[in-house]
Amino acid sequence: MEAIKNALDFSDFPRLDLSLAGAVFAFLLLFPALPHSSFAMATMIQFLMFSLYGMGWNTIGGYAGQVDLGKAQYNGIGAYTTAVMMVRWDVPFWVSMPVGMALAVGWSFLIGYPLFRLKGHYFSIATIATSLVLKDLFEVWDFVGAATGLQIPIRSKLPDFLYLQFRHDYYYYYILLALFVVGILYLNAFRHSRLGFQLRAIKDNEDVAKSLGIDAHWCKIKAYAVATAFVAVVGSFHACYNFNIEPEDVMSLDLSVLIAMMALLGGAGSLWGPIIGAAILVPLKSYMGDWLGAASGLEGLNLIIYGGIIMLIAAVQPRGVWGMVEAVRARRRGGYAAS
Amino acid sequence: MPLLEVKHVSKEFGGLVANNDVSFVLNEREVMGLIGPNGAGKTTLFNCIAGHFPVTRGQIVFDGQDVTALKAFEVSRRGLARTFQIFQASGDLKVRENVMVGAFMHNPSRSKARAKAEATLEFLGIADAGDHLMTELPVAQQKRVALATALATDPKLLLLDEVAAGLNRSEIEDMVALIKQINTDKGVAVLLTEHMLEMVMVLSHRVIVLESGRLIADGEPEAVVKDPEVIRAYLGDHIVSDEEAAHA
Repeated sequence: MEAIKNALDFSDFPRLDLSLAGAVFAFLLLFPALPHSSFAMATMIQFLMFSLYGMGWNTIGGYAGQVDLGKAQYNGIGAYTTAVMMVRWDVPFWVSMPVGMALAVGWSFLIGYPLFRLKGHYFSIATIATSLVLKDLFEVWDFVGAATGLQIPIRSKLPDFLYLQFRHDYYYYYILLALFVVGILYLNAFRHSRLGFQLRAIKDNEDVAKSLGIDAHWCKIKAYAVATAFVAVVGSFHACYNFNIEPEDVMSLDLSVLIAMMALLGGAGSLWGPIIGAAILVPLKSYMGDWLGAASGLEGLNLIIYGGIIMLIAAVQPRGVWGMVEAVRARRRGGYAAS
Repeated sequence: MPLLEVKHVSKEFGGLVANNDVSFVLNEREVMGLIGPNGAGKTTLFNCIAGHFPVTRGQIVFDGQDVTALKAFEVSRRGLARTFQIFQASGDLKVRENVMVGAFMHNPSRSKARAKAEATLEFLGIADAGDHLMTELPVAQQKRVALATALATDPKLLLLDEVAAGLNRSEIEDMVALIKQINTDKGVAVLLTEHMLEMVMVLSHRVIVLESGRLIADGEPEAVVKDPEVIRAYLGDHIVSDEEAAHA
């Protein structure tokens, strides 16, 4: 009961934020009805997907402060579970999605238990390594189609809500939007929960956290599982949306880095951060890749710009765009006058 | 009733002996001062008792249970809270949220934890700081928040590590009053280390003294500061021998 109350409690945000959030949501709701190109629609779908990835990453990377650069492996587990189950046993999305989530979370426990003995950069590097190893395994595993991947067969009758196959993108869009809303509500409950507070305390100072009865190792594993669940669900969706998946596509290091970067750019450890980050980077990524990169022959330009963004975050405001907003607000509010 | 029993505890880091066969008993509702020169092993002993370091030898019994092998988070759940000497205020949590982290230990629900945090802040006289970030507060107030956070876990014993460091005279007086209040109103036993001997003398029912990892005195504050071995530990050999020479 309290979880539901917490999920709906946005009272700590100023009214301006809530009106802005409302306006953005109204836009998202109406977007398919507005005139738009199919490229814009695809970009919006990417935006929603990366928002969800980022929200998940935010639990472990933002609130708990453990910079995870291996989220692609869980995206892969979600995507492959759905694809394999559809291709081989004709299982609908709504069954394979929770199965994929469970498998990914199970894998995250196996990975997380030893990995969270590591601290800081060592943890980050280890997450990259596990993700790359899993990708390599999938590339030689015939059951899942090895390096060529899997192709989900088209259903005879469309639209098919059970198998998530549609002729028009706006079906996908609205399903993602629903997941997006669920994600925000879940995260809002999460940040108000005991676990949410405990993770922030761990990020602050792990020794102090331990002295307050917090089992830091177990809390990180739990947060890692939550993050994984988010990513796996998007992975399952991705399989249906793209029809064909391959390891290089769904489990690449690029994806892991992008997920972390969007959350960090927008503001890790805040509710809106990952969404802001995705809103900035996804359009940049798709339009830059399409117009600038390909058209002008500057293939690696997007990578250069990503690098610049990472340096900018590190140097100017480690807490991202949202950190800047909060810094301005703290200044306006004024300091503390001891009574 | 003994609340904390430290029995023959030794802590070694490689070849360095930080605590050597330390034994003492702290009773319920007692305030005990732990003093000793720099490097005597006071903070190490704190870390051993609170479960941050595993002990090399010996046993620690807290509230009737052997806690020697327990980790810090398990010890704290049994009612042993502590503050840290080097207190790092971060920009992430507001004061109320900080105290709520402590309150969450026994209150899984947010509304209860919040109420508990408010009450604790009120008790320590910093209710008006709740909405501020830790970094916005002066040091004295930050120390109070750390105290409030520890207290919000409803401890039976509070370990205070150099809680007066960095405070001016009047702030130290406030802190003394606060610790007395915590001890008498809440019945919390306190073990504190402090460089300010005066503060230890005023607060403690009993004082123990560490020197080079060994326990060299245990008794009433007045008796302990007159103990020649303690004076020698603090001031050096020749002063004591001069005094003894004068007496002779």
